[in-house]
Amino acid sequence: MVSRWMYISLVILYGFLLGPFLIIFMASFGANANLAFPPQGFTLDWFANVFETSQFIDSFWISLQLALLSTIVSLIMGMPVAYALTRFHFSWSGMVETVFSAPILVPGLVIGFAMLNFFVLLGDMHVMTGLFIGHTAILFPYSVRVISASLRNLDPYVEDAAVSLGANRLRGFLLVVLPNMQAGIAAAFVLGFITSFNNVPVSLFLSGPGVTTLPVSMLSYLEYYFDPTIAALSTLLVIFTVVLVQTAERLLGLSQFV
Amino acid sequence: MPYLEIHDLTVSYEKNRPTLKQFSLSVEQGELVSLLGPSGCGKTTTLRSVAGFIQPVDGRIVINDRDYTRLPPNKRDIGLVFQSYALFPHLTVFYNVAFGLRMRRIPKKEVHSRVTSALKMVGLEAFADRHPAQLSGGQQQRVALARATVIEPQVLLLDEPLSNLDAGLRVEMRQEIRRTQQQLGITTLYVTHDQVEAMSISDRVVIMNQGEIEQVGRPESIFAAPETVFVAGFMGFDNHFSAAVLSVQDSKLRVNWGGAPIELRWRSNSGPPQSGAKAEIFFRADNASLSAGREASGLAGQVILHTFHGNEVQYLVETELGEFSIMQDSDSERFKPGAAVTVQAHTQKWIAIIAETEQYA
Repeated sequence: MVSRWMYISLVILYGFLLGPFLIIFMASFGANANLAFPPQGFTLDWFANVFETSQFIDSFWISLQLALLSTIVSLIMGMPVAYALTRFHFSWSGMVETVFSAPILVPGLVIGFAMLNFFVLLGDMHVMTGLFIGHTAILFPYSVRVISASLRNLDPYVEDAAVSLGANRLRGFLLVVLPNMQAGIAAAFVLGFITSFNNVPVSLFLSGPGVTTLPVSMLSYLEYYFDPTIAALSTLLVIFTVVLVQTAERLLGLSQFV
Repeated sequence: MPYLEIHDLTVSYEKNRPTLKQFSLSVEQGELVSLLGPSGCGKTTTLRSVAGFIQPVDGRIVINDRDYTRLPPNKRDIGLVFQSYALFPHLTVFYNVAFGLRMRRIPKKEVHSRVTSALKMVGLEAFADRHPAQLSGGQQQRVALARATVIEPQVLLLDEPLSNLDAGLRVEMRQEIRRTQQQLGITTLYVTHDQVEAMSISDRVVIMNQGEIEQVGRPESIFAAPETVFVAGFMGFDNHFSAAVLSVQDSKLRVNWGGAPIELRWRSNSGPPQSGAKAEIFFRADNASLSAGREASGLAGQVILHTFHGNEVQYLVETELGEFSIMQDSDSERFKPGAAVTVQAHTQKWIAIIAETEQYA
């Protein structure tokens, strides 16, 4: 009996999770001029429209560059912090950890608004620079957390073992710690990339004329047009994300860290 | 001539609260010395100081006539085996063992032959291509031992190497470590909190408490003749009571035991005891016996509890000197809780320790 109820609730849960995607997916092939369900007819015009709308193509490249750059920088910054937090216990390490998780806990709109004010006060910063700083800041805690998790799985004494066998501290780190952080770094990369690529609230405040991320330009497109182009684009994005995550999962088994 | 010398080693993590206080020890070449004590006694600190991971505030470490005190850990020729094994998870058994040799830039051919023979020594030559995660705890510990010894270190240090293994495997690995150590003739420091482990594996045992040495000696002598109250407690003397010294004659002193006095060996850190001094008396559960009823000689008592152990029965007996645990052959007469008994002292293996120059109140 228990297993039957569990089965039913599982189906309901999956229905809630996957239902909206299914509707979007089907609507993106519909021939109606307005977004509608159930769709009538079948056409690939909306997909063609996605690639013909320069607003989407431009903002896709911006989002891609932004996500890659801010993820890489947040990883480079997060690695030493994660290492320090897992290896050393200092009197205020608890506070440091809390401060570093603040961008996860504070609502994105608040962060975006705060950053907008900050950058405006700082004078005319380039829009892309502002976006880059903002995204790096929100990704940083993710990279610290995920890399910390992978470091906690590693026996801290392996470094001492390497040193006692003749490696200096740096070689010990490079030869023993770094290879065992690989999966954690990769997981942090995928998570960070997706977080940045999908981010709306921070990007919304920091976007400027001519420089817009893909999710923000989707939002503004929706304000003027209510056609299935957005559904087609969403379908493409879902496929993109699923392929990315699946590849990472296959290669690295990243689900153990996230 | 000693091979490893530790002179007045003092380590403190916090100012004015030394973890290790003027610790001195000499170890002969090829000798295995255990550091035994409860957690926090400074035994691991000593080991990590010898390995170079802890800088002492004072004292010197000399190995084979070379001053090691200020040498960084990677420049010391020391093999280290950890409680958690600390194998490199991303490397195969072969490359784990080869790590130290490769750091020393030893030619590939020689690395191969030395690693192979080290793995053969611990019986793992068939596992060279496995990763640590594919090995059992005992196998991992063998790899750790091979990895630490293949570099032919001056000194081998083992930090509670068996405490992550289950009881049966522990005995087997203990013998294997001892055999390997003797085969290589390697000078070894062995840290443990397990009294039996220290006794069975060591040439000498150092008993530590609160950063200081309580007693150093061969396992047999420490077991038979502890010099301090702490060591006696740690060496499994089940029973303890305090008594006033009645009189002292050369190597024996007399204290009251029921009606009649008994004669005991004694130890003192402050010269021969005087009459009236306080003696701490220790004896093991099998160095006393029970007889039924009240007898003129011996100590009157009452059985509180009895526990069957197979060959033996353990009794808890209440007397005027305290509660004592006493082991009897299970073939001998049995006593029920509440039975009146007389405790007879078999004093050859008892020990009286004069802890302080304190009068018995």
